[in-house]
Formats: sequence, structure tokens, C-alpha cells
Amino acid sequence: MTEPQPHAQTTDTQWPRWEVFKQDAPNRPHQAVGSVHAGDPQHALLTARNVFVRRPAAVSLWCVREDDLLTATPEELTTTPTLLDTPGGPGVYYVGVKRTNKRSMTFVDLSGTVTADGPGDALRQARTLHPDVLAWMVFPETAVVRTDEDPGTVDSWFAPAKEKTYKQQQYYGVIGRHVGELKRAGLMPGRAASEDHA
Amino acid sequence: MTAGTHPLTDTQTQALIRRLTALADDEIILAHRGGEWTGHAPILEEDIALANIAQDELGHAGLYLTLRADLDGSDPDRLAFFRDPSQYTNTRLVELPKGDWAFTMVRQFLYDTFEALWMEAATRSTYAPLAEVAAKAVREEKFHVQHTALWVERLALGTPESERRTQAALTELWPHAAQLFQPVESEAELVHSGLLPDLNAVHARWTGLVTRHLTDKCGLTLPATPDTQPGRDTHTEHLAPLLAEMQSVARAHPTAELW
Repeated sequence: MTEPQPHAQTTDTQWPRWEVFKQDAPNRPHQAVGSVHAGDPQHALLTARNVFVRRPAAVSLWCVREDDLLTATPEELTTTPTLLDTPGGPGVYYVGVKRTNKRSMTFVDLSGTVTADGPGDALRQARTLHPDVLAWMVFPETAVVRTDEDPGTVDSWFAPAKEKTYKQQQYYGVIGRHVGELKRAGLMPGRAASEDHA
Repeated sequence: MTAGTHPLTDTQTQALIRRLTALADDEIILAHRGGEWTGHAPILEEDIALANIAQDELGHAGLYLTLRADLDGSDPDRLAFFRDPSQYTNTRLVELPKGDWAFTMVRQFLYDTFEALWMEAATRSTYAPLAEVAAKAVREEKFHVQHTALWVERLALGTPESERRTQAALTELWPHAAQLFQPVESEAELVHSGLLPDLNAVHARWTGLVTRHLTDKCGLTLPATPDTQPGRDTHTEHLAPLLAEMQSVARAHPTAELW
């Protein structure tokens, strides 16, 4: 009964999950854009490039193993305040905040770093710095795997995407009537036609 | 018909058309084999990655066939979708069935390394349109090499089973890869004029790079390369069914304006 290790290995054959952070342009924050499963750091970066940097643009990619992330919502901190005591090594931690649910992807913007005793302390500082957000994310600087910043890497990983055709969804042809047309006619169930006036 | 600062002779034009078509044919067929993994790759992320790589290769084919169109007014879509197996000039390397993941990654690695090196050399072509296209495409090809080189290494140094499969793939594919370095008719003249890269020089660099990766880093054994290889007009029985599938939509709707 007390052999969790073999049990875990037989039931979970997935590679570790890595959170992917993409920087769209210099001087913009890295944003969490999704995740990949990969066997090692280099594999995670290569896969992330193909999955998330196809187009339109990026200049830098980071990957962080799921195990190295600590995330919490205000609700979770209310029910599980011990998250603020999560142990770990002292050092520099990145702080990410999720401010809005409007985007279709679950963007977390990295807002900077704090020097903390551990992940729990970093989370505590993140909450103090950014009290009114939907969620916080912290991870140690040492956990970040980054794309190289040399011109060759930038040129082969990121530059080609900028020249590829990129169409917003609404440019594609549709069979039948476009959803925008249905919305304006008030024919979309559960959606008021007045949404357009907002 | 423009040739930058060099007006092309008729012989040169025909040889350039043959080379551009050979390059495009390899890309089209390999892209199709890559596309066959869509929905079947080992994990979702690699499914997406390989589909992206296949799309890039198809894009390169489009670039080459557009260069050819500038020379003879041919229609790239018609060349891709209405030529018979006997008219295709791809290597046997790219038309072999997709095999397992190790086979796919070893083939892609051998091909990507060739393509990256050839394109890099082609950026110095005195035929300006080719130099421009190569400069554009070589960048993403260098990324392909990184991706597939990593996979070959992980498979070769993985489990005994993955090592066995990777070695088996290399043993089967290595002789076919030599075909990539066969010149087309009258290619030597274009190389001499600086219009096309010297395949022998590309071959030497390719052999050095892939040998270092496959043997030193991955611990694989290179099989012997046969002295002679069939030409690009000789295909295996696998090309015809591939084209039948790839061309079925276009051939069913030959007058369609958009597909």
C-alpha cells in the first residue's frame, strides 16, 4: 500500500508538463501561453517553438517544468493558506499574474522578480505586490529554460514566422452564414444582439 | 526570363529547371510522408510539430516551383498535382513509406541536414532569385535540423528497443541518402558558373556533420554506401500510391479554381 513510486510510474506514462512563456517583442513581458509535454528541457523548447511560435511573432521562449511552478487564486489562498508556507530554496523568483479572463488563452503576464525565502514566500510577496488579480504564479529563476539570444537562434526560430501568412479567424470562408451575421440578427442563442453595442 | 546579371543560355535554363524541380519534388513527397503522421504521431505536441515541418517543406517546394515558373511559365499546382510517377524526379529516400517514428526522424534528419547545407550554399548563388529564396528558407531549415537531430539522439540513446529501431532505420535509409547528391543533367555547367552549389562540396560537409552526430553523439553505426545509385527517374513501387492519394482531389476537380 505504501509504494507510491512504482504505482505512479505504471499509471502515468506522460512526459513532464512544461509551462510555455512567449515574448512577442522586446520590452514586452513574457506571457504564459499554454503547455507542452516533453522529456527534457531542450525538447520542451523545440516543441514549444513549433506549437506556439508558428505565427505571428515571438522573440523569446521560456519553458518551466510544472513541478517548479506554484500557482494560486485568491479563493485557493482562503481555503488553503498553507500554500504561503510552501517550502523550497531561497533565491530570485519570477512573479506572474493573471489579470483577465477575456483572452481565449490563459495568459499569465510575468511582472518581474522578487527575492524570496522559497516559493511560499514568493507567493506571499506576489499577493502583496498585486492584490487585485485572478491568480498568481511564482517559480524560481533557476527553473527557467530559455532560448538562446544569439542572432542565429533568433533568425531560425522566430524570424520566419513573421513572414508567413497570418489570417485572423474571421477572414476564413464559412459554410452558411458567418457567426457575426447571426449575432447581429439576434439569432445566436444565449447572446443578446446588443452585445455589438457594448 | 531574367537571370540577374547573367543571361542564361538555353542549356543552363533547362538544367536549372531540372534542379529546381528535383528539389521541389523531394520537398513535396517528404511533406506528404510527414503529413501522414497527422493524427498519429506519438504525442499531440509532436503531431503538431511534424505537421508544421511538413508545411514548411511544402512551402519550400512552392518557392522552388515559383522560381521554375519564372523560367518556363509552368504552373506550380499543375506540376504538383497532375504529373505521373514517371514524371516525378524525387529521390527514393523521401518516397519510402513513413515507417515508425525512428524511421521518420532519421529520414527527416538526413534530409534536413542536406537541405540546410544546400540552401546555405545557394545563398551565394549568382542567380539572384535563387539566392533570395535560399536566404529566406534556410533559416527555418536550420530549425528543422535541430528538432530532428534531437529526436534521433533521444531515440538512439533511449531504450534498447528505440536504439534497435533507430539503427534499423539508418541502415535502410543511408544508401538512399546518397541519391540526394546526384547531379542532374548539365548541372556541372551551372556549378561552374556559380549559379548552383557544388554538390560534392555539400556532400562532404553533410557527411561530416551527420557522421559526427550519428556515430559520435548517438553511437549508431553507419552502413556502407553502395557505389552506384539509381537515378531520380527510377522509383520504388511506393510512389504511385502516394501520388494517387495526394493528387486525388485535384484530379477529381481539375477545373476547380480554389482548393
